[in-house]
This record gives sequence, C-alpha cells and structure tokens, in this order.
Amino acid sequence: MSTGSVEVVYRGIFQKTLAKNICRGVVFAAKKEGKIGTAFGRYSDSPERNGIPAKQFAVVSDTHDELQEHLARYEPDNNDVTIACDDALCKGVESWAWYGLQPINKLLKKGGTLLVTSFQSPNKLINFIHRKGEPYNLALVRAAASFSGLWVYKDDHTDARLLGALAKVAPHIVGIDAICEVIKEQWKDDLKVASARKTYEATETIPVSADQGNEEVPFEFEKPGWKTMEEGLVIRGISAEQQKVEGWEGGYVPTRNPTFKKFSTRTMRPVINFDTCIKCTLCWLQCPDSCFDITPDGLYDANMEACCGCGVCEAVCPVEDCVTMVNEEAFDDNASQWEMWVKDKKGYETWMTEKISDKPPRSHGFHHVGQYAEETADEST
Amino acid sequence: MSDVITETLDDYIKTQVLEAWKGPKTVPEQEYFTSGHRTCQGCESALVMKLMAKAAGPRTIILGSTGCMYVANTTYLSTPWSVPWMHTQLGSSGSAATGTAAGLRALMRKGKMEKERINVIAFCGDGGGADMGLSAISAALQHTEYNLLILMYDNESYANTDIQVSGSSPYGANSTFSPPGKERRIMHRRWKKNTAPMLAAGHPECKYVATVCMSYAVEAMNAVRKALSIGGPTFIHSLDPCPKGWDYDPMFSHELGELAVETGIWPLYEIEEGKIKMYGKSKRIVNGQMKRKPVQDYLLRQGRFAHFIDEDIEYFQAKTDEMWEKWLIPGVLPFSAEA
Repeated sequence: MSTGSVEVVYRGIFQKTLAKNICRGVVFAAKKEGKIGTAFGRYSDSPERNGIPAKQFAVVSDTHDELQEHLARYEPDNNDVTIACDDALCKGVESWAWYGLQPINKLLKKGGTLLVTSFQSPNKLINFIHRKGEPYNLALVRAAASFSGLWVYKDDHTDARLLGALAKVAPHIVGIDAICEVIKEQWKDDLKVASARKTYEATETIPVSADQGNEEVPFEFEKPGWKTMEEGLVIRGISAEQQKVEGWEGGYVPTRNPTFKKFSTRTMRPVINFDTCIKCTLCWLQCPDSCFDITPDGLYDANMEACCGCGVCEAVCPVEDCVTMVNEEAFDDNASQWEMWVKDKKGYETWMTEKISDKPPRSHGFHHVGQYAEETADEST
Repeated sequence: MSDVITETLDDYIKTQVLEAWKGPKTVPEQEYFTSGHRTCQGCESALVMKLMAKAAGPRTIILGSTGCMYVANTTYLSTPWSVPWMHTQLGSSGSAATGTAAGLRALMRKGKMEKERINVIAFCGDGGGADMGLSAISAALQHTEYNLLILMYDNESYANTDIQVSGSSPYGANSTFSPPGKERRIMHRRWKKNTAPMLAAGHPECKYVATVCMSYAVEAMNAVRKALSIGGPTFIHSLDPCPKGWDYDPMFSHELGELAVETGIWPLYEIEEGKIKMYGKSKRIVNGQMKRKPVQDYLLRQGRFAHFIDEDIEYFQAKTDEMWEKWLIPGVLPFSAEA
C-alpha cells in the first residue's frame, strides 16, 4: 500500500509537451505494473506563458482510494521525485501564479531525488539550489534544456531519457521494463527505448546533505489577509515616480511591481558592453518588460529583477557586440552590470569577455519549416 | 436633457494637442505600465501597453477587456499599472469607454470634478475587439461627443486561453481549434478580418483610425497621441507578434513585426478626418520605392505555419498580392470599382 508522486517543473509552452509526455509515461507505465495513476497540470499555471516556470504532476498509487486521498490537495507535496527540465530552474521557481520565489526542492520529500537535465557540474547546481534543511539526492541527465515550440515537438528523446532516469532513482514508482514497454507502445521507436535504457544505466545519484546549498532566503513579500484587502477588487497602482537609488542620481530607475519579479523566468540574460553603446535607446524602448534602467551617464543597464531573458534587446541593438545574450547558469547573482563597470572598467572587460563566451544554443522555439527534422537528422548520424 | 445638447464638448473637456515625438531620443523616461507583469518572454502586447501608456501620459484612465493583457497584468492582486485601470467584460471595451467618458463629463458638469482633459483608453484583444466587442466598438465610434480611444492589440488568436482561432487569425495558422491533420492540412480557411478599414468605412464621423506595429515604436506612440488629440472616438489596430501562439523564439518578436510590414501582410496607415495616409515602409511599398518581401520570409519563421507546403505559401502570396494590386485602396479597401 503506497502512493508515489513525481513533480515536473518546466518552462511554460516551450516544454509543455515534454512535461506531458513524462507525466503520461509514468502513469501508463504504472498501469503496466498493476497500479493506478493520474497525470495533471497545476491549474493555476494555465494559461501558460512561454518561459515562465510551470508544473505538471504524476501520482501513482496501489489502490483507487489512496489515489483519491492524495489528489485532494492543490498540488502534491512530499514528492518522491522533482524533475527540472531546465537547469536554470535550480535558481528557484516563480510560477506566474505564485508569490515569491520557491526553491526547486521545496516540494521534494526528505530523501527524495531532484532530477535535472544539465551539462553543469553537480557542485555548481548545488550552489544554485536553495538549502533544503533535509537530506535529498541529486541526479543529472546529461542534456541541454530541450526547448521545443508548442505546435512542433522536437523529439530529441529528452522525454524518454528522463523516464529512464526516473525508473533508476524511483523504482518503487515505475520500473524500467514498464517504462520501455510504454515508450515502445506510444512512439513505436526502438531508438527511443534504447535511449531510455541507456540513461537508466548511466544515471547516478549524489547525496545532498541538509545544510548544503544556497543560503539565500528566497524572495518573498507579505501577502494581504482577507481583513487587509480593500473593498471591491482594488489593487494599489505602482508609483509613476522614479526610485531613488544611491549612485543613480541623474539617471532613471522606474518604480517596479514589488510583488512579481522575473528572477526565475530567464534561461539567458543580456550582458552589456558599455564601451560600445551608442545610446540609441532601442533596447530600453523595445523592452516589453521595461527592464532597462537609465544610468546617470545615459547608458542602459538591464535590471535583473525585471528581465525575463527574451533577447529582444540583443535583436534590436544596432551595434554588433553591445548586447550579448548569455546562459543564465553563468551568473551567481543579479548585481548591476553598470555599477560593476563604473567601479572597475578593466575588470569588467575581463568579466564580460569570459561571460559572453558562454552563449546559449539557440534551439529555443521555431526558426524555419523543416528545422527540427534537419536537427534530429544531424543528431542521429 | 437640454443642457447636455446645447453644451459643446469643449465646455467640459478641453481639447489638447499632444505633439508628435520626433524620434526615440525625445521619448520621456516615465513609465505608466512598468515592470512585473506575468506575460510571456518577448510579449509584444505588453510592449503595446507600455508604449500606449507612455504616449498617453499620467492623466489617463485605461480600461481593459478580458484577454492576456487583463489576466497577465492584474491577477493575484499584483499589477504593473501606475495609471488607473479597470477590467471590463470581453465584448465591452466600447461600452466601457463610452460610459467612462460620459461619467467623467457628468462629474465635471456637476462640478464634482475639476474640468480637465482626462484620456480614456479602452483596449481589447482581437477576440475582444474584432469578434465579440465589434458591436460595442461600433456604437462607441458613433458617439462623436465623447473623447476616447479604443486600441485593439491583435496577436491573431485567443492566446490567453491557449490559442484558439479568432476572426483575426491568418489563413492556415495552426491553433487549438485548427490543428493540421493527415487528411486535411489546412483547418483554418478564413482570411483575416480587415478590422480597421471596416470601422473607418462604417463610421464616417470617426476622425481617426490607424494601424500600428510596435516594431515601429515612435510612429505607434505618435498614432496614440494623435488619436487622443483629434477629438471624439478613435480606433487603433496594432499587430503584435506572439511567441506563444505563433511559435517562435521570443527574440524574434521585433523582427517578425518588421517582416509583417515588409511583406505587405500588415499595412501601416492612418485614416485622419476622411483622408487615408500610408506611412513608413507601407508608404514606400505603395509609392513603388520598395519591393514587398516574399511572404514566406515571414511565414516560415513561425511554428504555426510549419505544416505549410509550397501550394499554401503560393496561395498566401497570391492573396497578399491581391491586396496591393487589385484593391481599390491598396492594402486597405478590399474591393475595386467596376470597369
């Protein structure tokens, strides 16, 4: 008599089908083992916004009653496994229907396993992941975050590989034989079955102790109680005045929404070369998130509280090397680049040169018809 | 009753002239729609909100009908708006705008509010505007005694509820309602509704109707400023590339807006006091100074057209050519005079 649950944390829209395939795969495989299960998306993540973290779950029980009991809650906690489909999510999760930043391991039970697709070292990821206060395990599947668009699914076997790894780290939920059987049934592809089995064999877990990890307290704010809410549905507007920030006199830092930040929405962020900036204003003007602060010397500094990493600034910048999008994992903090540049221009140049070498693969979304067919053909040869 | 009729608009609401901005460097720093909204990466509709609010300035009331820009910007007691904003039902951007403008005027007439020009802008998506709200917008555009602007941000589907077809969805696009199948490839066969010219032609007393695209931000903001200066009800239709529904890398939002104009799929024009004026690259296309790019440059960059084969692209190109070569007013009015 037992119930097991798997939480899949993924990037809204671009990884929706991937997450669905994983959760359905778990449930189908459990059924093969005579169990009963259900897969579902968290209601409040819908409608999904692309890039914004979202969640789907698979719950598997021995009996129908146990399953019902486990489902009578908003989102399953005490999960046996949390799967992060993008390693940048290790920095935390702020779903669009969430208040504040939630550690990636928050809903993982003591001794559970956090399964991440990543090329980073385990230690680097543990430094990003908030300290849990309870021991748990970390397992890595060596893969880049698989961003597929919504209408076109890039079948790079990430779903099969994660299912294979899951069978290794949580055999009490589903076994590898059932997983392979389901993959064969669903996709009729022996190569995918082989991918799952290969990942199953290669996956190893690393124990993470209770006090290991990022010590920072995740961003949060005070929520109004029902007695403090105003009559009607009133939300206080944001001040139209600029913020007063020390050292920024003469510049312009807009007041921002204090209750929703974009720390966890990014898979990449802009790095600015202030020496080549021609002050054309386009990054600032065209940023849908108004993330650019105007510096006292008339330059534009991307504020990491507001940047969602869309890359429009890089696209509109007329200067070749002024704005470069860089992998989010390359950064340990959200500090102002301009302040760093003002303090030490030489040092900044060294820092910048190192960072911009870590460019993300632009497999993100759709580029042209036939692109995925071409890419997967390349990969299989 | 009689005093309402005898009084002119200017008695209560001073007219205003919001000068056009000369270029991006003259755009003010203040944001009235700031950071911290729950939209997608690379959301051009959020950019519409930001630049629309910037263009209108602080003395503005904004009304929003249901859609992404309602749900993503005000849910969970959290908002990026700094000007007053109110939600209205999906089909009622027109009635909300008229009602707000009338209410302000009544308060000013009764001396309960200082007489001043307060901009009233109602926005709606293509579902809320071109489909459900069309009759209310039509009514609002007939009430020439109220100053208001209705801005339709068109991302060519009901993207908020996960991308269902709207009257504004382009031919053949993949959506939740029109997934291509093995037997039938093209499941959405209607041509995009020509909303702005329909409203301009149908409401001869409406002084200003324009199309904009935020890839041309300064022109778009100046359209908003003109719409708020000219007096009476006005309408602006914005085409917003949508990485979620159109399925592309968010960094291409700006570029896709440009391509929509350069391929001739999205013509830019203003209809001001009965005179039509093409602007930007659309003007160059009409004047023969610029050749339209092939529509495939635009279509093939989007996952929603990934199922297109050559024949579909040719059809799309032919329909677009027709807009520019056969129509009475190229790119705008879709019929021609009998020979």
